[in-house]
Amino acid sequence: MAGQFPEWIRRTWGSGSDFGVTRGILDGLQLHTVCQSARCPNIGECWRRRTATIMVLGNVCTRKCAFCGVRSAQSGQTLRAPDPEEPGRVAEAVRRLELRHAVVTSVTRDDLADGGSGHFAATVETIRAVNPGCTVEVLTPDFQGSRAAVETVMAAGPDVFGHNIETVERLYPVLRSPAHDYGRSLAVLKSAAAMAAASGGRTAVKSALMVGHGETPDEVRATLAGLLEAGCVAVCIGQYLRPGKAEREVAEFVTPEQFAAYERMAYAMGFAFAVAGPFVRSSYRAEELVNALKARH
Amino acid sequence: MRYEVTLPELGDDSVDRATVTLWLADEGDIVSENDDLVEMTTDKAAFSVPSPKAGTLVEKLVDEDDEVSVGDVLCILEI
Repeated sequence: MAGQFPEWIRRTWGSGSDFGVTRGILDGLQLHTVCQSARCPNIGECWRRRTATIMVLGNVCTRKCAFCGVRSAQSGQTLRAPDPEEPGRVAEAVRRLELRHAVVTSVTRDDLADGGSGHFAATVETIRAVNPGCTVEVLTPDFQGSRAAVETVMAAGPDVFGHNIETVERLYPVLRSPAHDYGRSLAVLKSAAAMAAASGGRTAVKSALMVGHGETPDEVRATLAGLLEAGCVAVCIGQYLRPGKAEREVAEFVTPEQFAAYERMAYAMGFAFAVAGPFVRSSYRAEELVNALKARH
Repeated sequence: MRYEVTLPELGDDSVDRATVTLWLADEGDIVSENDDLVEMTTDKAAFSVPSPKAGTLVEKLVDEDDEVSVGDVLCILEI
């Protein structure tokens, strides 16, 4: 096992009293996190800093992508209906964690008529009601391309609307479940950006992608160009790391120098905020993005 | 007082086992709280396990290449 990872793929195992406090708050409120479900290597750092990305609508996904460690539904399995109490528990977790910026994501819920968009909106509104001044970021599924679902979320006025393109177009067939579509994800971002512009530009639109699946820098550039054209102002690029033996192997560990080059490229192309690095995740240090965007106004 | 250092549990759905790759401290070493004691790897990444307490590392209970689960005792500190 030694030498399996380059020296820059090294994190701290979550421990210590602050980690325990975060865990206690989230467990106590029966909330799921993508930190745990995706086996995120940043959990030690983030939870010790008392930040976490809460995952609503359960911890079972109706799709299965080859890179993702989140559990997927068995065929014929009925998932629980959205818990109307969950937005309140999320808001309470935000209060107890004293978050100034809350990031909320979900599994994909193709079984729900609105894709869970109403639950997202209720969560944004409840977080705000309980935590005045707290900024809220959503990281949504594609809602099967439903413009109405995007509209539902946008009507709640999140500070950041995130939807991850995840990978370059060529790798969609091998990495993503058949229900995903590259163009449709771009269309979701485009809808959100158009709605944000129409309502005065309060919401920043953001996306993220993984590298290390064998994509080329030219393909990354083309993906960034597509995101920009869709209206994204912020992008995150991080290394794919395999959650477990069931998921696809890492094709390549992208060097820190190449990440730095990607970040420069994104800024040069016109993104207002870009961050690239081995452990960058769409929600990792997300507060910095909001602060950076606010500073521009 | 002897203090057992365990591999901390991260919670539901999280990583629950790892392989010991490298000890970063030796028996007899004096360690401070948060000093890295040992390196683990999972499928996802390499992780250093920080010392939960200051003390003297008196005994290592796992060897390099051992697979360990969360909750297992990794070493004993005299604190």
